[in-house]
Amino acid sequence: MMKVKRTNGFLWPVIVAIICSFTLMVPVPGFGAGKTIVIGGSLPLTGAYAETGQWIEKGMLFWAAEINAKGGLLGRNVEFKIYDDQSDVSKAVTFAEKVITVDKVDLLFGGYPGTAARAVMPVAEKHKFVYVSMGGHMKSFEQGYTYSFGAPPLMGEWWYEGFFHWLATVPADKRPQRAAVYTINNPVGLSLTDSIERWTKKLNIQIVINEKYNAPLTDATAMIVKAKQSKCDILFANGFFPDGVTTMKAAKALDYNPKIIVQGVGSVVPAWVKELGKDGDYVFSGTSLSGQLKYPGNDKLNAYTKKTYNLNEYPLYFGFGYAWMQTLEQAVKGAKNLDQTKIRDWLKTNEVNTIAGPMTFDKRGLPEPINFGTQIINGKVELISPKRVQTKEPVYPKPAWKK
Amino acid sequence: MDAVLIIQSLISGIMMGMVYALLGVGFSLTWGVMHVINISHGAFGLLGAYMAYSLLQYFGVDPIVSAAVSVPLLFLVACGIYQLLIRPITRAQNVVMASMILTFGLAIILENVMAIIWKADPRVLTPTYSSGALILGPFYFQYPHVVGFGLSLAGITAIYLFLKKTYTGMAVRAAWQQPEAARLYGVNLYWISMITFALAVSTAGAGGICLALLNSFEPHSHNLWLINLFLVVIVGGVGNVIGTALAGLIIGVITGLSMAFLPFLWVNLVTFGLLMIFLIFRPHGIFKQEGI
Amino acid sequence: MINKLYPAAMAILAVLLAAFPCIGPEVYYLSFLFSIFMYVILASSWNFIGGYAGYISFGHAAFFGIGAFATAKMATMLELPPLLTMLAAIPAGGIAALVALIVGYPCLKIRGPYFSVVTLCFAFVVDLAVKNIEFLGGAEGLWIKFMDIPEKTSRTIMYELMFLLMVITLAASWFLGRSRFGAGLTAIRSDEEVAETMAIPTAKLKIQAFVLSAFFPGVAGGLFAYYLGYIHTDAVFNINISILIVLMAMFGGGGTWLGPIIGAVILTVVNEGLSTFAQAEIARIIYGALFIVVTIFMPNGIIDFFRKKDGMT
Repeated sequence: MMKVKRTNGFLWPVIVAIICSFTLMVPVPGFGAGKTIVIGGSLPLTGAYAETGQWIEKGMLFWAAEINAKGGLLGRNVEFKIYDDQSDVSKAVTFAEKVITVDKVDLLFGGYPGTAARAVMPVAEKHKFVYVSMGGHMKSFEQGYTYSFGAPPLMGEWWYEGFFHWLATVPADKRPQRAAVYTINNPVGLSLTDSIERWTKKLNIQIVINEKYNAPLTDATAMIVKAKQSKCDILFANGFFPDGVTTMKAAKALDYNPKIIVQGVGSVVPAWVKELGKDGDYVFSGTSLSGQLKYPGNDKLNAYTKKTYNLNEYPLYFGFGYAWMQTLEQAVKGAKNLDQTKIRDWLKTNEVNTIAGPMTFDKRGLPEPINFGTQIINGKVELISPKRVQTKEPVYPKPAWKK
Repeated sequence: MDAVLIIQSLISGIMMGMVYALLGVGFSLTWGVMHVINISHGAFGLLGAYMAYSLLQYFGVDPIVSAAVSVPLLFLVACGIYQLLIRPITRAQNVVMASMILTFGLAIILENVMAIIWKADPRVLTPTYSSGALILGPFYFQYPHVVGFGLSLAGITAIYLFLKKTYTGMAVRAAWQQPEAARLYGVNLYWISMITFALAVSTAGAGGICLALLNSFEPHSHNLWLINLFLVVIVGGVGNVIGTALAGLIIGVITGLSMAFLPFLWVNLVTFGLLMIFLIFRPHGIFKQEGI
Repeated sequence: MINKLYPAAMAILAVLLAAFPCIGPEVYYLSFLFSIFMYVILASSWNFIGGYAGYISFGHAAFFGIGAFATAKMATMLELPPLLTMLAAIPAGGIAALVALIVGYPCLKIRGPYFSVVTLCFAFVVDLAVKNIEFLGGAEGLWIKFMDIPEKTSRTIMYELMFLLMVITLAASWFLGRSRFGAGLTAIRSDEEVAETMAIPTAKLKIQAFVLSAFFPGVAGGLFAYYLGYIHTDAVFNINISILIVLMAMFGGGGTWLGPIIGAVILTVVNEGLSTFAQAEIARIIYGALFIVVTIFMPNGIIDFFRKKDGMT
């Protein structure tokens, strides 16, 4: 019984499997051929980042429909080849290689989240493909890549710039004095702390609590009690949606009323307003895009998302997907062909105009810091800073919770 | 250290732990009675949460009330799933392993079906009392925590009484402790298994509703839930209802205390580290398995 | 007849795979096969402890991740030139094995599902420790410099190295299955108490198998870190990798030489194929259904099913 059984004669399943795997290598017909311009890459359409990935996809497809209706890019129709990387970084890398080397796409599109972008950027560099994406925060743009562009980027380091610019306009005696900073321990969270360190020094705000936590955050009671007891009058919740919601609920339940609550990247997704309702109000954050900007194109996107998804304003990541494609589109038009190096060189020397405004890129592939301070007022993300884009006067200090 | 912080943190830790206990108790039962490790347990919990969400959104039914609809519904669904999928694998050499692979597949299917029906956007269950609190002196009892705690306590008590006091319940225990003897006494193991499985899935649904009162959820959240319920079940001892409840309390106390005393960065690490040490020294949980 | 053909066929297959880069395939094919080899290594080495000895470890991604981070850390700290970085994967595997020795000593005393959960906790502890302690890697992740040679050449080198590692792992697995060591492990799986009474040094065998089963994933992790170029804890310590390794091995048939190979190959290929041909959620649903169908019709793994069918027991 205990003798190990021989497994002879079962070689064929392996062979069959290997043969099957070879069938994967046959490029899907229709791509790369003919007159269509194929834009390829991967997005997290299932798994942990599915929500965001799907919005980016919708934004890109909206762009494609629009440009095809206008007669295409360089006179050719565009088409997407989008793989689902299942929110897995290593799959994002493999699919990037697949679209470049097997599907032989003409252009690459940007992925999500930051960790995936960080891993795909070197692939794009090695294959000399222009990669327009949100990037993976400042560190990823300091690696010396020449083909990667953040256009516009989702830059944690810049995220609170707009907010702090506004805070600086508040008279010093009315500003909050003591800050509680809670940061999620991942690349997004860590890059968000950058501007807090710089600005709290400048504005003479004392950081009383400065802690990090690992996701998932199941309970924020202790955090809020600590902040409340330390009499912190400004709360930075540098996190995502789930931990942001947990923190907000605890703050309300424990009747913690700081003058300001600042939340990271969770409060900018449509679900925040939709799911939290009144409880999500008065939260400050930042963005590099907004449907309320006056740059051309924003109205059109808003109208589309209103009609299709019944949203008052296009979701941030829908806008990102669209804006990256706008950048790529202008670069291709500028370079007048699909030569990647020419496209890159054009981007390095020319200005692009997107729904996030005009941009020129430096050696790292980054524009001048773009950021708009936001506050959620009456269930709507309002722009509060800088003055020229302001849609509403910020509500300060935050009204006490209504029980 | 400040007493208010410690006690406040402990209270919410314990309430939280109790919710995990309700989510875990069914997992523990199927494992103990049928040797089925149900990886999709968390996904069924999530299904309960989504049903409660929809009923609240479209009909304004409070989650506690709607549980009366969704939990029995899950019971029926589970009976069907048992018939179709679980029963055929009970003849495998290694039922534990086979059931894990099968239910892993089931979890993937459920997750993506939920993603199609409810979309990938995160959801928050917000009944009227969702962010209120009961204030007793310097202490705040968040209503969702209180409701979750109450429901969990009720759910676990119900399961306990069912196993202890009813004929079917006693048959379930017998089937588990002495399967051969139970068969000789005319216990229908097939029926018992089906009831156990369905009961487990419906407690998962109830637990999912409670957990949804505390945190936001998305189609993939069940992965996170699964880890916690695994721990509760193991600490409590497989198949042990009271043990699971106590394990929920213990994990709640550990989390609560470490939240109060330690930097938050180390809370999860300490929780898992302590559990690991706990398991090394006390590998069969708090009680012997036979305890129920 | 078959017995003689089998090693020969294996050898031919190995030579063909080794020579595959010669026909000048696109980089993606090299990467795809690279990932198949990687999962074969992970599933087969998991099989040492999980399949043969019946100690189901749910934390095997921890060793993979330790290897990845140890390699990346060595590369960035010592500023190794890229080619040497890959060799750093070997000491990184050693570190993974050392960790396995330390952890395995107390953990392997625990049996059944409790062992599984301890290893699960262990995986979380390692993940969080790497995230929290800057020296071990940190939450930002690590970048590794890439080689200044054409992409195809560098991917070919990686392919061949991973292939070599797979061959070594499979050879180890083959000899283990036919040795007294392997027989001892199988005895432990059947009944540990009986094995002890038969004077089998169970404690020693288990720890040896555990260390061995941590070493290969450690080295594979090192190569993988280099393949990605940027590693983050979420990419290597992912609990899903741990679960996937177990499922691959058991799906094919645990405790056999071929089982983990078949499981790893089929699941990787199917997953990739579905992502290519089906709509995202539908693809996942089909993938999930595959687990259900296979379990219902082949509850003891694919190998066992075909063995019975061919009348060989």
